[in-house]
Amino acid sequence: MTAEAAHESGQIQAGRGEPLVVLDGVDKWYGSLHVLQDINLTITRGEVVVVIGPSGSGKSTLCRTINRLETIGQGSITLDGQPLPAEGKALANLRAEVGMVFQSFNLFAHKTILENVTLGPIRVRKQSKDDAEKLAMSLLERVGIAHQAQKYPAQLSGGQQQRVAIARALAMEPKVMLFDEPTSALDPEMIKEVLDVMVDLAQRGMTMVVVTHEMGFARTAADRVVFMADGAIAEENTPEEFFTNPRTERAQDFLGKILKH
Amino acid sequence: MRTTRIKVAAAAAGIALLAAGCGNAGSDEGETRDVEAVEDAQFDEGTRMAELNEAGEITIGVKYDQPGIGFKGAGDEDPVGFDPEIGKIIAANLGIDPENINWVETISDNREPFLQENEVDLVIASYSITDERREVVGQAGPYYVTGQQLLVPSDSDIADVADVEGEEVCSVTGSTSLDNARAEGAEPRGFDTYSECVDQVLDGTVAAMTTDGAILLGYAAEQPEALKVVGEPFSEERYGIGYSQDYPELCQFINDTLEQSFEDGSWEEAFDITLGESGDDAPEPPALDECAA
Amino acid sequence: MEAVFGNFDVYLAGFGLTIGLAVVSGVLSLLLGLLLAAARVGPVPVLARAAGLYVTLFRNTPLLVVFIFIAIALPRIGITFQSIEVIAVGDYNVSAFFVRAVVALTLYTSAFVCEAIRSGINAVPVGQAEAARAIGLDFGQVMRLVVLPQAARAVVPPMASVFIALTKNTSIAAAFGIAEAAATMRRFTNDNADQRVEIFLLVALGYIVIVEAIAFSSYALERRWKVAR
Repeated sequence: MTAEAAHESGQIQAGRGEPLVVLDGVDKWYGSLHVLQDINLTITRGEVVVVIGPSGSGKSTLCRTINRLETIGQGSITLDGQPLPAEGKALANLRAEVGMVFQSFNLFAHKTILENVTLGPIRVRKQSKDDAEKLAMSLLERVGIAHQAQKYPAQLSGGQQQRVAIARALAMEPKVMLFDEPTSALDPEMIKEVLDVMVDLAQRGMTMVVVTHEMGFARTAADRVVFMADGAIAEENTPEEFFTNPRTERAQDFLGKILKH
Repeated sequence: MRTTRIKVAAAAAGIALLAAGCGNAGSDEGETRDVEAVEDAQFDEGTRMAELNEAGEITIGVKYDQPGIGFKGAGDEDPVGFDPEIGKIIAANLGIDPENINWVETISDNREPFLQENEVDLVIASYSITDERREVVGQAGPYYVTGQQLLVPSDSDIADVADVEGEEVCSVTGSTSLDNARAEGAEPRGFDTYSECVDQVLDGTVAAMTTDGAILLGYAAEQPEALKVVGEPFSEERYGIGYSQDYPELCQFINDTLEQSFEDGSWEEAFDITLGESGDDAPEPPALDECAA
Repeated sequence: MEAVFGNFDVYLAGFGLTIGLAVVSGVLSLLLGLLLAAARVGPVPVLARAAGLYVTLFRNTPLLVVFIFIAIALPRIGITFQSIEVIAVGDYNVSAFFVRAVVALTLYTSAFVCEAIRSGINAVPVGQAEAARAIGLDFGQVMRLVVLPQAARAVVPPMASVFIALTKNTSIAAAFGIAEAAATMRRFTNDNADQRVEIFLLVALGYIVIVEAIAFSSYALERRWKVAR
């Protein structure tokens, strides 16, 4: 870690190890489908948690409940000690504290790259346009897109768009970053450029929840792996333990399927 | 050898009562005369009169929404009023019984097109004679002369046409009456039907309704507590009988028939049981326009 | 022809009222329709249901019936809009009849505006709104800054249709005390039975001019927003 990075992430590093996101007995149904079953999960400050599991296991839904893009049926979720508000201004304020990166990037199609990154700081954080642009340019620099700031999203490749999306989330200076399958919609040659940014972010001490199929990223950057199956957490462990010595049959089966090739 | 045998229906009121007793939704104010066709009407070969006589039926356009003049309630079989009565007299002289008259509703907008396209044989529908209309259709008569007056709420201060300046006055959209109201300085408000216009007067949203006095008397007679007709007539409307210009020979026939009805009292009887209901005596029959040679 | 050209001021006044009705009702319908659409897609279930009910009610009711309700039924229960007549625009007092026509047209048209906007909102991928919410924008900001600007282009063609229909629908006011273009046509034809065809064509031409102006603006707007992409 460079000295500069250490300085930047100093604030985040402080208090490392305290609980930041706590899910307690969370249940969710889609009609009669029990998509989240009694989820108990604590993510501490500075921790990188990778959530893996077969499709339909509820891992994306879990990720989206943390900033309440999905509501929950039962249980509680707290962020930094505060329960998630139900609606309105309080919920918007909470979301500003939680960065989110989507599978399909979701950059605002009618705004330039720069405007995409400055929208939140100007409208939510009430920063001046100058300050917001300065911050945005430094973030775009960090993800390697600064020279494309005046383009529109459609003019960028998928990998570039996803890096912009990360910069857009970082501009809000969030307490935690959620990644919902950030590389699943990318061509293989673009996956690395996005993962590199994420690894860098992890090294700077950002608290991250990452839903992904990238086992390499999990091994490299994760502090903990959470394995989900059928809406429940089947197993959680360090990456080392999980990948070499999975305890449950479901995990063994899943790893057997994805690691054989 | 023309004879017109007319029987005044003494039972007319009784029929109306019966209709009401049966829960009929129709109007109960319509009195009608029994008219019988001339049995041996003779017409020159090739004339329209001969054709109609031969066919034994005739189509006549009348108004359905003007009490006293031409009105048909929701459950009524035939329209009642002064205009239908005149229609029956004319049909009788063509050798056609009243039950063989096909009544058709004509509104102000479609009277000329209906005549031009021969949708109807005659229009007897409070149809004022004007030079412009005579450009496109034939108009025989007049069989009645009335003038534009005002219908106002009973407690209104409006007593004459001079009082309507600056006031909102309603009538039927696009009608001559509305033009005349405009000329008197009133703010004209057009509606589709007279009854909607009467509603506006009752609701107080307009100060007065204006159209031919005959029509206004019909509405005033329906609600004498709430409405009254005021002012001297400020226009002259001469009701004519419309026919197609394809058959100019109809003009003289209609005029002869009208002249006869003036003389034998059938015109006056027709008036008394319709427009006369509101209390007016039958006026002197009007002088007929000469038919073009 | 001279029936119209001899009274050209009357013809123009008629179309002036037609345009006045269309513009005032159009602007109000746009505002009300926008609120309704926001309510329909918004997070408050009660508002969404109320807006849905409104649309069902007014989209399925013939405009004539709405007019009759406003102009004939409401006065029965004492709602005549006559208090409005104290308001003056320039030298002209706003008439209760104009207001009633505007109310009827707005109630009816806003239901269609709402649906046109809603279809445009639905054309915007749901991820756009999710991303906007995720950076902490509130519902109003999500709509105003992200969804509606993108919906706008998709909304232009159906919205133009709504406003064209509105322009022609103003003719119903002819039967409710407003001397707009259709009423003027009936006045001309009543006075000049011999010139019916010419009068009809000239009035139709007036409507065509207005409708073409709307259509042209719509194309221009579509083109401009395409370039801005």
